[in-house]
Amino acid sequence: MRINIKIGKAPVSGVIAALSLVLSAASFAADNINILACEPEWASLAEELGGSHVEVFSATHAKQNPHYIRARPSLISKARRADMIMCSGAGLEAGWLPILVQKGSSRIQPGKPGYFLAADFVPVLEIPTVLDRSLGDIHPEGNPHVHLNPHNILTIANEFTKRLIKVDGKNRASYTELNETFTLKWKAAIERWEQDLAHYQALTMVVYHKNFSYLIDWLGINLVGSLETKPGIPPTVSHLEELLGVIDSSNSSPIIVVTPYDATKGAKWLSAKLNKPYLTLPYTVGGDEQSKNLFDLFDRTLALIK
Amino acid sequence: MRVSLSLCLIALVPFIFSTNATADDHDLKAIKAEIESMKKLYESRIAELEAKVKSMETSAGEKSVAVKQSGNLPKKARAVKRFNPAVSVVLNGKATSFSSPESEFAGFSVSHEGERGREGLGLGESEISVAANVDNKFYGSLTAAIVREDGSDQIELEEAYLQTLPDLGLMDGFGIKAGRAFWTLGYMNEHHAHTDDFADRPLPYRAFLNKAYNDDGLEVSYVLPTDFYTEIGGGVFRGDDFPFGESDGEGIGAFSAFARFGSDIGDNQSWRLGGYALIGEAKGGRAGNEDTVTFIGDSDLYAVDFRYTYAPTGNAREREWIVQGESFWRSEDGTYEDTNAGTGAVAHDDTSVGWYAQTVYKFHPAWRAGFRYSELESPDILAGLNGSALDGRNHDPRSFSAMVDYTNSEFSRIRFQWNNNKLNNQTTDNQFMIQYIMSVGAHGAHKY
Repeated sequence: MRINIKIGKAPVSGVIAALSLVLSAASFAADNINILACEPEWASLAEELGGSHVEVFSATHAKQNPHYIRARPSLISKARRADMIMCSGAGLEAGWLPILVQKGSSRIQPGKPGYFLAADFVPVLEIPTVLDRSLGDIHPEGNPHVHLNPHNILTIANEFTKRLIKVDGKNRASYTELNETFTLKWKAAIERWEQDLAHYQALTMVVYHKNFSYLIDWLGINLVGSLETKPGIPPTVSHLEELLGVIDSSNSSPIIVVTPYDATKGAKWLSAKLNKPYLTLPYTVGGDEQSKNLFDLFDRTLALIK
Repeated sequence: MRVSLSLCLIALVPFIFSTNATADDHDLKAIKAEIESMKKLYESRIAELEAKVKSMETSAGEKSVAVKQSGNLPKKARAVKRFNPAVSVVLNGKATSFSSPESEFAGFSVSHEGERGREGLGLGESEISVAANVDNKFYGSLTAAIVREDGSDQIELEEAYLQTLPDLGLMDGFGIKAGRAFWTLGYMNEHHAHTDDFADRPLPYRAFLNKAYNDDGLEVSYVLPTDFYTEIGGGVFRGDDFPFGESDGEGIGAFSAFARFGSDIGDNQSWRLGGYALIGEAKGGRAGNEDTVTFIGDSDLYAVDFRYTYAPTGNAREREWIVQGESFWRSEDGTYEDTNAGTGAVAHDDTSVGWYAQTVYKFHPAWRAGFRYSELESPDILAGLNGSALDGRNHDPRSFSAMVDYTNSEFSRIRFQWNNNKLNNQTTDNQFMIQYIMSVGAHGAHKY
């Protein structure tokens, strides 16, 4: 048997040209700004700030750990057509975002207004002084889970609006107005959330991974420890027992919290020992039924830990 | 303020004691009471002042946070910390045991990299990789492997390529890669072996590609602006690397074409399907079986690949199921010569087939288990090649593998694998391997 495939140059380029004509016609038909958000919290914010002018796609959902995503085919095609990307940055998407950007449109390249990393605009916590992987998968850029401090959201919303205007100047008035409305609503919400700060300052907490650091920092909660042995390294019994020892000696009764994507085995173990149920906090938009947008996310989170 | 108050109290102490020494009982009681009331007074004042100081401190803290947030200071400070270029080293070692002394492929002439490797303790490929954006328009990457070959450690240049970045101003979705690279062909070819799910490559990769095709050349690709992932492309190559060989550099030794499609099914499943062709000529001869077998002529390879991933809980970090398979058709038209069998150059024109299918399941964040089956169907030969390495003697080489691996972090993995190989009709080779793969340095890419 012999298979003969002879591909002439002319027909191939002809087909490509025809295809791209048809396809580009299809993609330009919709005038909306295509935004590829790496995580649901940014997808939600982009929708708030872009209103009807934007088409937002979230690369991950609330049940996925955003650090362990692959540059899967659907994401490449989204990046290829994106006008903007909105991601956490600080190394959270280090395994997959570079591939998407490399395969992506010229509008989402580093330095372009369409390349937006939230962590670039807010004070980043836990920037390590020692970079040694024996301490776990530490991001040299610091803790990337910046969205759980509402003050950060305010700054990021402002910066993102500036970018939206750069990318889509003709809708400047609309973006400015959307941001003003959001800012007013958000500031009022912060005031509401911060009414009872003293209460949170008395709380102690155990987390699975350091993905609640910004919430803890904002509310002044006392962090007792992490269930994970080290960042990115699953809990071990000896580590959990050590943690239990710390809790016992500190005589506190910490709230145990996990995200919808964290493994719950360690949390279950500790919660049985402390005779106290662990909490699955929504962590991001869509993390539970109630958390439909960023406002709900904070309302719900605070209600759960209270 | 707190400090000065405490100092006052301390200053009072000697005074109190000096009065104390000369007083009688009655006075003593009165003094004690007085001291007690003074103490209370001061304590309440101190507490009051402490509260004031604290509130001042917190409000100052809030102010400084507010200042930080309005500025854009962190960006520049952090950019310096990022290390450019990304350097990484992959350490790879194996302990292997084989039940059979030999493992010849029936009906195929296999080159060095496709052979089964060394028995016992030994290093695999130790890789050093350096990659970075060259500037806004180009990305460059170099990977060198240090391997043990014929009793000495040698450096093999696996990849050294440049890739255009979208800033170059070509049409969006259009990219060019030039140099030496693991070119787009099937699923595994463009992946470095240390990212594989098994400790060795499946039979078709060993027989048809000598593990991987990384010729010198140039490849263009175009991602179509569709919602549904579609990528097409093709390349031209020197024709030096297996399955070609000894190119005289005149004209183009080989060319390729490919098309890939893929998408998601719901939130937690993804797939990709591809078709590939690699067409060329082994002009100066492709050597195999330790240079005793030579093929000269046209060698065309066609492949399809499929990959499906499913995260049952939504989170691939916890549980994931991967199914993957590839099929190859190799059509050859030329002459084979086996010097061991003294065949002379014998005409050969036929197609051989090879395929594998594998599945891997992550049943614990750190543990995965997998199975793989691979098979080759040898070509028909002319009588002149009877008794040579090309003579399959009606046997189709096949291999079954089972593996379990433990992943401590994204950077370390230890694997146990068992192979049951029936590569010819005389022997069954039961192989056991323990492998470690350690990455040092830059965070690796998660390709699909």
